Amino acid sequence: MSIPLPPLPPVEDIRALVGHRFSGGHYTIAHWENFLLTECTGSEPLPDDIAHPVALFHVPILGAGTSIGEMFALGQADSDASIGIESYDWEFFKTLREEHPYRIDAEITEADRREENGRMFDRIAFRFDLKDEQGEPAARTTITWHYNRGKR
Amino acid sequence: MKGETMKGEMMNVQVGDEIPAWNMPSVLPERMRTMAAILRDPNPVHWDRRVCAKIGFGDHTINQGPLGLSYMVNMLHAWTGPESIRRIKMRFPQAVLDGDHVIARGKVTALREENGERLADCDIWLQREDSEPPLQGSATVKLPG
Repeated sequence: MSIPLPPLPPVEDIRALVGHRFSGGHYTIAHWENFLLTECTGSEPLPDDIAHPVALFHVPILGAGTSIGEMFALGQADSDASIGIESYDWEFFKTLREEHPYRIDAEITEADRREENGRMFDRIAFRFDLKDEQGEPAARTTITWHYNRGKR
Repeated sequence: MKGETMKGEMMNVQVGDEIPAWNMPSVLPERMRTMAAILRDPNPVHWDRRVCAKIGFGDHTINQGPLGLSYMVNMLHAWTGPESIRRIKMRFPQAVLDGDHVIARGKVTALREENGERLADCDIWLQREDSEPPLQGSATVKLPG
């Protein structure tokens, strides 16, 4: 007996996400946070208060005033486990450091429905821009996820 | 002296050069749990093996994408220093699981100058025995000197 698939969100709802802006805000990477994060990667702590670049995943999300959970919900994910990663594109204009506040602004830049090999998914791209205390670009990241809808 | 030697080696980087590999002998589930807490990541595939079993991953949790990417970062840091990365673009064709032995690898594809910096463009990937690379992408790093 197969489990019925959840209802498919209207494609218009998905496409309407393009241009959605998050509230934006600030984020400061704490020393303890960077220490634990760096340890998770298998690296020794970096010198001179350098934040491990892997911070460019959660810092923009939380700093923009959103969360992974809200990003799942915006795309009407069938479940947390239904999300797949297409790509991460991380650009560093400056070295990120601990205890420096970063301004983050974010929006959804792409959202559409796709079908590949009989598998349906919604493809959503989120772009986050980080600026330093002087207002200069520090980093940019684009997260592209697939909201898998199964075979229909 | 070690630094001077490294700088000398970096002056001679050529297209086609392999980046020294970075080894992760075993992807640890404890690190995924710490990562999930820091990321406020509610996805149970990173910390609940029962959920992973239901979706076909057996008795293994799934590594966070950024953690797999961080192994590439560590490889590049070991090669060109902790302030060298200018861009990383990564795709994730397969999941990395707890217990996996993975090796970050890379190769120089182009050398160029931009804004007074010597840059190396590289193909980078995560190698896992008996599988296609679970992560594949590209990176741009600033070369010393």
